[in-house]
Amino acid sequence: METTFREASADPRTAALPLAHLSLELGHLYMDDFAAGPVRLREHFARIRPWVDAARESCAGAVGRRPRISTCFLIDDYFTRFSSPAEVVPQIVEEAARAGLVIDYLARESACAEAGPVRPAQLVEARLVPSPPPGSTGSRPPATETGWLSNGERSPVDSLAEAMSETAGWRPPREIEARRHSVFLDVELWDEQHGRRTWSCPFLAAVWQLLRLGLLRDQGQEVLRPAEAPQDLPGSWDALAPLVRLNPGAAPFAAYRTFSVLAGRFLPIEHAVAVILDQWSPEEAVLRQLAERARQEGVALPDGVRARVEYLFTGPS
Amino acid sequence: MTGPEERTGVLLGEVRTGLLQHSVELSRPAALQLLDLRHGERVRSSTRPNQQVRSPDLLTGVDCPLPTGSRRAVRGVGTALTHAVLTEGRVLQASVRARVGERGAGLRLPWGHYLARPGTVEPTGPVTDADLVGGHLLTGPPAGRLDLGALAERLLTDLQGRPQLDRRAPFKSRRTRLLWSCEPGPPAARFTIEDGTLRTLRLSLEQADPEAVTAFCEDLALHDWLLTTLVQLVDRSGLGSVPGAEPVLRLRPAVNHLLHLWMPGARVDRVLAQVWGHLESSPGFTRQWAAAVQRIRDQLALQAVGLAAPVGER
Repeated sequence: METTFREASADPRTAALPLAHLSLELGHLYMDDFAAGPVRLREHFARIRPWVDAARESCAGAVGRRPRISTCFLIDDYFTRFSSPAEVVPQIVEEAARAGLVIDYLARESACAEAGPVRPAQLVEARLVPSPPPGSTGSRPPATETGWLSNGERSPVDSLAEAMSETAGWRPPREIEARRHSVFLDVELWDEQHGRRTWSCPFLAAVWQLLRLGLLRDQGQEVLRPAEAPQDLPGSWDALAPLVRLNPGAAPFAAYRTFSVLAGRFLPIEHAVAVILDQWSPEEAVLRQLAERARQEGVALPDGVRARVEYLFTGPS
Repeated sequence: MTGPEERTGVLLGEVRTGLLQHSVELSRPAALQLLDLRHGERVRSSTRPNQQVRSPDLLTGVDCPLPTGSRRAVRGVGTALTHAVLTEGRVLQASVRARVGERGAGLRLPWGHYLARPGTVEPTGPVTDADLVGGHLLTGPPAGRLDLGALAERLLTDLQGRPQLDRRAPFKSRRTRLLWSCEPGPPAARFTIEDGTLRTLRLSLEQADPEAVTAFCEDLALHDWLLTTLVQLVDRSGLGSVPGAEPVLRLRPAVNHLLHLWMPGARVDRVLAQVWGHLESSPGFTRQWAAAVQRIRDQLALQAVGLAAPVGER
């Protein structure tokens, strides 16, 4: 006789999410963009349209059949509050439509920090595993300074004792994965004022990428479930769901890969995002789940998280 | 990513086991809180056949020479997995493991490659399993080499120093260390008591599931610690040499805190249950445990009915 015994609490389950092939980001909106009026939006969508088409074509070529592609747009309501969903959302949708683009999902950047009871940014922080400089044996804790993450070894700080010794001197920082010369980057993840933590823009952008890649779970559960767009858009951002589905026929929000068409000024932020994603360790169960689904669908999925993220930067602004 | 070819390779691990530094058994909610080491990830717990709480795995990146018996330096890059286990709110274990996977490309790859293979360290050059096992089990890590023990020690120290623990353990005991390895091959196990607190286990298995092997080693380490600690308590109590009720009083913590914890092999995978079986027939863990427990119970019974004769009185 075969008997099995199991305790649910001993054997946690991990939720699977519906997945598109590609999550296509059509831009970020900051207060100054909005302040510049609809013309700025119009220019933006018109400029990115050819690249969006190219991204779709490239995805179709890779998938080999009609790909599932969803589009998304991020609104910054974390660092500055401006206008209201009732005013901004129809404008974005309209200006996108003018360029022949459909926005499937609209997300609030503040949702990357806090979405109801879930704290996506904290989930991401808990899974950062700093890349070890050569010589890391495990005997010392990883040299992470609170709130900062770099892509290498920092230039050593002269402590008082060192400064008084003869040997103290400047040494350059070093990128761990440098090819001969370094491009060292040290990213501020958050700061704290009066005991309140503010996540940095690059950190929230990294959370945003991970949400789009379907890699985040809270206690094994989905983190952000898209809400249907309300009949009447509210007058305050807080009253709008963190992630809204504007197009009822849209492909799933999360996808195997992401592609973002962004203005060139986002380049430094996305470099920082790469440094964060490079040192972010996905949950093994989620990773396995995605790999298995991709295999069944015949989709090529890179092992590393960062390799699933692609960009196109347009223009200077 | 998890193809069959990646299942091979040698597993290296260490378990450190000690008494939770707290005056009473930690309740289940408090234990879940203590071992909540990673936001958003569930702490695993089970209540049958006894209460055990397991923390999520923590990852630590390493890039250093691997331990080798031949002392040849082979650089390894990757991550080690660390977690904590608390049994019956009483015995705390820190457990670390790393699988030394297939040979790398000779150079370090982008870090994302290693994060996609949690708990795997890839050597950058050729090295044999036997050489790695030899280095890990027999020599211990010389300075500058992969140091799994340091990871375990740091976790244990961190947890024992948490403010929710009162640091008033009911009796004195020593921490034990179990260094273990598991290599592919026909099933075999060699368990060695190296000294008062150090043990080694060299396993070979045809198919090794890293999680199951780690759980087995934790179970073995737990029971070895229980036995070691009980024998020490009996020795220290003066049972058989000190007259009167004194030894029984000194054995009270053992009765209160240890005797109910003996459940070898309770959560052990079928394949590994056989290894437990062999260790039970020789040297016979449970036999020694039962004898010690019987001796304590006999003393208690004699004291209870007032028959315990002072030593030297015939």
